[in-house]
Amino acid sequence: MAPRLPARCWRQLHHPSSLLLSRTTTVLPPPPAAPSLLPRTTTRGVKYGWSTLSPRAKPNRFNQVTSGIPAPTTGPAAALLRRARTTPLRTGVLAIKKGMTALMGKSGARIPCTVLQLDRVQTVATKTRAKNGYFAVQVGLGERHADNVGAPMLGYYEAKGIAPKRELAEFHVRDAAGLLPVGVQLLPDWFHIGQWVDVRANSRGFGFAGVMKRHGYAGQEASHGNSKNHRTMGSAGPSQGGGSRVHPGKKMPGRMGNERVTMQNLPVLLVDNDLGIVVVKGCVAGPKGCIVKIQDAVKKPPPPKEFIEATRRQLNERFPHAKQVLEAARKRHLELKEARKEGRIQEFLSTGLIEKETVAQAVDAAILEAETMAPRPEVVA
Amino acid sequence: MNAAPLCRRPLGCLKTSLRQARQQNVLFGRTMATATETPAAAERTPGSSMLPDHNFYQLMDTKTKKLRSAFAVYTPPTINTTLTTPLKPLKGIRKGGMRPLPPAAPLPGLLKAPSDPMPLLHAAQIKRMDPTGARAKLFEKTRHGVRPGDVLLVTHRRNREPFAGVCISVRRAGIDTAVLLRTALSKVGVEMWYKVYNKNVAGIEIIKRPRRRVRRARLTYMRLPKHDPGNQTELVLEWKKSRKALLSKAGAAKKGGKKNAKKAKAGAVAVVGKK
Repeated sequence: MAPRLPARCWRQLHHPSSLLLSRTTTVLPPPPAAPSLLPRTTTRGVKYGWSTLSPRAKPNRFNQVTSGIPAPTTGPAAALLRRARTTPLRTGVLAIKKGMTALMGKSGARIPCTVLQLDRVQTVATKTRAKNGYFAVQVGLGERHADNVGAPMLGYYEAKGIAPKRELAEFHVRDAAGLLPVGVQLLPDWFHIGQWVDVRANSRGFGFAGVMKRHGYAGQEASHGNSKNHRTMGSAGPSQGGGSRVHPGKKMPGRMGNERVTMQNLPVLLVDNDLGIVVVKGCVAGPKGCIVKIQDAVKKPPPPKEFIEATRRQLNERFPHAKQVLEAARKRHLELKEARKEGRIQEFLSTGLIEKETVAQAVDAAILEAETMAPRPEVVA
Repeated sequence: MNAAPLCRRPLGCLKTSLRQARQQNVLFGRTMATATETPAAAERTPGSSMLPDHNFYQLMDTKTKKLRSAFAVYTPPTINTTLTTPLKPLKGIRKGGMRPLPPAAPLPGLLKAPSDPMPLLHAAQIKRMDPTGARAKLFEKTRHGVRPGDVLLVTHRRNREPFAGVCISVRRAGIDTAVLLRTALSKVGVEMWYKVYNKNVAGIEIIKRPRRRVRRARLTYMRLPKHDPGNQTELVLEWKKSRKALLSKAGAAKKGGKKNAKKAKAGAVAVVGKK
């Protein structure tokens, strides 16, 4: 095989006084800026593949899967593959826990349930493998007054064309098929009655609690010479001979609750768009009014394929122009950003309303044009 | 750098460089793809009549009191919803397959549900479980409704014996409203919770009301031996007797009274007992 030569070596070929032509010159003059075959790229930087790996470990054509070497079991790709089975196909939603009640059946059945409400749940962003290393959908809930949003986030929402949200969360999805257009609203009918979901929430916080409350220790005697140690934990481990140390993870007093609790495989009992509620069987961690995450259950089969397709179709029917809206918002954002940089934002404030109207008109015309050029294909039911 | 091979095989290094070019091709293809897509999408842009209205949020400099920056804050139109269609719980995807979802109309804004869905959910369920409104009336918060201290007789579908006991507390929770009854069976204190709107509870009747108004919402003191009301069977018998007499009197007064009596018995869900 021919030797691998760095560019600076073979670039000499272009030079008239190179070795090939005259063997007498010993000192090579610096090559002129000859037009190169290859595009000029930066050779340093993590972005461009620079790494601290040993030369043998660096990717070349001999250590690829295509040359017969088994796929690596570590690394980002392997990690995603490992988690593929337990990553839901679709995004989940954010909701607010409204409280518990019961559903009564006609035959006398009574099922305790928790009511979770979706408040203007919108998709805010998508994360992709190429850009972020994983597939996910960022979802927002509720609304937040601009007073309570920092400048960076105001810019973020501005670029999305979305009002600031009260809460943001990411939901991992298995592949690109699970990604949704930005700005669409997810309604309770994203789930179907009878499907299983996992519901995550932070449990109620109990503050600093002792071992009896926090870990269920038995405490100590009330009498028999016990003095001022009725609810203490007693010994924390053996002394000399046992290491004379406290083992890591020893149960002790401390903050109790307010930790994430996942209730797995809760059946969905009721779904209603008008009330914005998803009712799940049983209890969910956290107090009333807490934020919960609902997503298809990891340990149960996903919803039927037809259902997933149908919900996607509905989403597109409800928000047919989501893409265009996002694009318009981005354009507007860039315009405003430039203005902010140059200190011209004042102009927009004064002319904001008029400007907006003209833009809207222009855009209307563009929509009409786009629709006449390429009519939207009929959605097959 | 060893340049000797270059002399021997001048085209040898082309192989390397072409390989590099290939690799970079892949890299560039990826980055260019997004770049070429954007302008195309931008051409189609439309949308900003659908782009929701926005006004500007101004950030002021605290010291100079001058405009520091401003951001567009979008205010999408919100459509307030209320409960329109009746709730259909407990019905999932049918075995034969999914029923096709109806085509959805484009939404002009964001749907905003009522912030407290619980009362509506309760009302919808109560309407389903108690269409005549008899039970709701029996437990309404008036002087005619059930109050702690009343002696209730509950007929249950599953248990043969009706259960009579003093109402110790009424837990009002919409569809989940329940009463706690206390009595003594074979000299052992027994308490039972009954869900008012449950279909298994066939009938609830007030058989006696306290002579004086009870001044507590929860009569937990009745668990103390001193205040324990004990067995209620005598009260039940007395109530049955008086009821029979009343019904027969009514029957004597009217012809075909028996029929009425039967009807009354069958539909006796919320008969307010004697005072």
